[in-house]
Amino acid sequence: MAEDGEEKLLATVQHIVQTLGSSDTMTEDILRVFSNYDGRLSLDKLYAARAAAASAAGGGGGLGGGGEHSMPESPTLPLPPPPAAAVSAAAAAGRPPPVTSMERTVRTLDRQISQFVAMDRLIWADSADADAFLEAVDDLIGTVQELEAAGTNRGLFDRAEELLSRCMARLEEEFRALIERPDDAAPAAPGGFRSDGSDDEEDFGGGDGYGDEPIPIAKPVTDYDVVIDALSPGSVANVHQIARRMVDAGFGRECAEVYAAARRGFVDESVARLGVRPRTAEEVHASSWEELEFDIARWIPAFNMVFRILIPSERRLCDRVFDGLAPFGDLAFVAAMRTQALQLISFGDAISSSSRAPERLFRVVDMYEAVRDLLPDLDPVFADPYSAALRAEVTAVCNTLGSSIKGIFMELENLIRRDPARVAAQGGGIHPITRYVMNYLRAACGSRQTLEEVMEGDFGAVGGAAAAVDPDRPTSSLAVHIAWIMDVLHKNLDIKSKIYRDPSLACVFLMNNGKYIIQKVNDSELGVLLGDEWIKQMTNRVRRWSMDYQRVTWGKVTTVLQTGGPGVGGLPATAMKQKLRMFNTYFQEIYEVQSEWVIADEQLRVDVRAAVAEAVMPVYTALISRLKSSPEARHDLYIKYTPEDVEACIQHLFEGAAK
Amino acid sequence: MPATDSSSAAAPLTSFGRSFLSHRRDQIPPPPPDHHSHSHTQHPSSSDLEIDAFHRHAADLLHDLLSDSNSDPSAPDLLSLAWTRRLLDSFLICLEEFRAILFALADSQPLSRPPLDRLLLDFLDRAVKALDLCNALRDGLDLIRQWRKHLAIAAAALAPAPAAQRGEAQIRRARKALTDLTILMLDDKDAGGVVGQRNRSFGRAGTTRDSLPHGHGHHRRSSSGGSSGSGSGSHLRSLSWSVSRTWSAARQLQAIGGGLTVPRANDIAATGGLASAVYAMGAVLFVVTWALVAAIPCQDRGLQAHLTAVPRTFPWAGPLITLFDRILDESKKKDRKHSCGLLKEIHQIERCSRQLMEVTDAAEFPLADDKDSEVQEATQELVQVCGSLKDGLDPLERQVREMFHRVVRTRTEILDYLSRPHNAG
Repeated sequence: MAEDGEEKLLATVQHIVQTLGSSDTMTEDILRVFSNYDGRLSLDKLYAARAAAASAAGGGGGLGGGGEHSMPESPTLPLPPPPAAAVSAAAAAGRPPPVTSMERTVRTLDRQISQFVAMDRLIWADSADADAFLEAVDDLIGTVQELEAAGTNRGLFDRAEELLSRCMARLEEEFRALIERPDDAAPAAPGGFRSDGSDDEEDFGGGDGYGDEPIPIAKPVTDYDVVIDALSPGSVANVHQIARRMVDAGFGRECAEVYAAARRGFVDESVARLGVRPRTAEEVHASSWEELEFDIARWIPAFNMVFRILIPSERRLCDRVFDGLAPFGDLAFVAAMRTQALQLISFGDAISSSSRAPERLFRVVDMYEAVRDLLPDLDPVFADPYSAALRAEVTAVCNTLGSSIKGIFMELENLIRRDPARVAAQGGGIHPITRYVMNYLRAACGSRQTLEEVMEGDFGAVGGAAAAVDPDRPTSSLAVHIAWIMDVLHKNLDIKSKIYRDPSLACVFLMNNGKYIIQKVNDSELGVLLGDEWIKQMTNRVRRWSMDYQRVTWGKVTTVLQTGGPGVGGLPATAMKQKLRMFNTYFQEIYEVQSEWVIADEQLRVDVRAAVAEAVMPVYTALISRLKSSPEARHDLYIKYTPEDVEACIQHLFEGAAK
Repeated sequence: MPATDSSSAAAPLTSFGRSFLSHRRDQIPPPPPDHHSHSHTQHPSSSDLEIDAFHRHAADLLHDLLSDSNSDPSAPDLLSLAWTRRLLDSFLICLEEFRAILFALADSQPLSRPPLDRLLLDFLDRAVKALDLCNALRDGLDLIRQWRKHLAIAAAALAPAPAAQRGEAQIRRARKALTDLTILMLDDKDAGGVVGQRNRSFGRAGTTRDSLPHGHGHHRRSSSGGSSGSGSGSHLRSLSWSVSRTWSAARQLQAIGGGLTVPRANDIAATGGLASAVYAMGAVLFVVTWALVAAIPCQDRGLQAHLTAVPRTFPWAGPLITLFDRILDESKKKDRKHSCGLLKEIHQIERCSRQLMEVTDAAEFPLADDKDSEVQEATQELVQVCGSLKDGLDPLERQVREMFHRVVRTRTEILDYLSRPHNAG
């Protein structure tokens, strides 16, 4: 029915044309009016009808010969083959249209297109104009291909090509305008301009993977599952129509260029709005850490926004605009966002190359993790060969951040070694370096998966097969390194302990710090990393220092108190009194000094006091009772410290200077 | 357990450096790694020998860069892409040998002892400045890559099947591409990188806070670009630079070369000659970065920085000064004075695009035979430049990146070494 109706309509139009048209040009004008008036009266159909009529009336000129002029192809970039197959097949199979008709066609198209090209407003401001123009361009492309295939009329071919180049220049401007100011275009006509869209896939879809899906959509990313649709679907459809014509005509490079230039502004501004400031390496090197922390805090979300939202969105837009037109979409995509992507990456490079002070660890770990976690999500976005270099840069910055973390973590060791041994902690208490290192390591344990990864040199391996690194074993690189740092710390504390002139105080110092270390290890993941064996060794060390302390401080005291065993003759009273006097001196000295010393850990303090009491009290009590029971010594016996006094004093040892 | 961070200092030369070193072994033997040297047992002249070898090898590398095609048919032209790549190769070799010699002799000449520590820190300051140059150079190479795209369009339009004559369509298309190219190149030249700073006015002041996007907050927006879609050049914005807009390559070069003072004889003696090696490396770094800026477009490119007098007693002084002077002469040539880069290929682009524009200006079609053959000739050159840019840009960019990373690594290693306590623990 509809077919019938259309045929009738065409026949009517033909009739009108024949009766009214006295000259070719006038005929063409009318044709154009009609063709603009109603989409059904497309120029194709009218010309086909006319050609059929003409060939029925008389024979056409012999057309043949291979087209030796191929479409201008770039020497470097393989263009998709021009869709000439259908045309030449038609030319070979059916009767070629006569040259005169081709001339007329070109002339008609010239007239028609010239009007469009001269238009001082956007063609796409009116969707009917846009459709008509596209249709004319399609005809022209077909004509050029036919002429080329025929290869007989060089002059006409040149004319047609010249016309085509004007079309392309105009299309390029329209294309840019539509991308930059999509609101200026008329809404896409209902049903859009989809006359021969089905041919696309046959022509361009082969093997490039783009032909399979109507609209490739960037893989959505978790957490940043947002896509910016910079252009409405209608605008995308319009822009895609133009891109297809430009690629069809062999102007794919121009199209990719103008696309990239048009999108770059948007990409630049989007990144600018994220508030990250471009920083040179020199600035980064000269900046204080506070400033850099601030920059990093800005950079991480910006990096995620750009690589997880902006760039995938650009990819999606590009894939839609250049749907089925590979590789131009890939070229355009990279050119549009390369600079901004590199600029963000270069901040990571600058940070990696700057100071490796240990306090930088945690922020750099944050940066590394942001980049590392991104890597797998980049694959669908940067899958094409043109993006490969960019993908490689992201991987490279991940690696440099990783090595930087490793370096920073190693730097802790230097920090410990450099810590001057001039000032020891007062009263043998916990040294600031011990607190710093232990708290640092405890915090570092929070990132132990990442640290293990970088210690193994296994950058960005998460998600891959190598991700099965278990940091929670004492043989992991991280655990070994931490054990090594503990060793360095231990040696450093040992050196510091030597500053105390009093060897007892050195023991207390080591005990205190040792106990603190054990505590910190026990109540964190450090315990898992260092293992039970290590903790046992450390506990033994503390016990040994404690015994050393007993020996050094109290050894001579208990030796003095020895009375040679009960009941056996015993010492003379004077000797016993002498011992008591010596004890009094020693004890007073010790008490005065050591009550100002510190044992930070309460349990340890209790234990040490108990051990002291256990060593001192029985012998002292024994001495006192012997003195008391000795008839010679009893008179003028001066007991400065009763056993209770001694006991009480012992309980006041290690209370610290504050007491 | 060994100090873990020493492993990086002793890291082997990369395969790249190694292959080059072994390649050149027949000329000058690379200094043997000297791990057993102790100041007491070591023969006093052994470190001198190694440092001499370093100086002489640097001289050789520089000398090779000066050889022209008369003496060596395989030698690339001065300031061509191929030459620039060779320049970077030579620099990387120098740096690698410098690093090797530094750490090989570090046992006998502790780096952290004055005056060597001061000299090294001074060198590292210069090295940091080279990092930003590397970034700027990468941008510059990307700019050339951008130019190449337009060039390729022109080449594709003008070089169809060999026999075909170029019609109006091809000429129009090529002229358009070349016009775009010229605008881009002028853009860069005039602005010296001011292009792209439209978006650079943002700082990190509080104003940016409220403009942070809220995930969905990206609205469709129209560009603030030109008022008309038909403006011929307004849309052609060249790439934005990845350095801030106040950054200047010229100033950076002055900072790298400034205060590069010849070490005093007693400093050289006190450091077992290492002071002279540090000086040599500083001078090479300066001239290489200077030559790169000369060749490649850069933000605020300028060659005012001058090479402070280098004593001719250093074997590399002669070739270094000659190299510097030759490039300086090149930059003063009339047709190169206002160029945005002395790279030979840039010159070719300028020349043949200008020629093509002139020949085809107001041309009648079909082209007269003499004009067509003129176009054909220029097109051939165009195609050739396109080809060498296509082959050369990516590797050169990778080398610039390599330079960046090697400088960072060397710097980190030296700093590591300097910060490592040698007397404690």
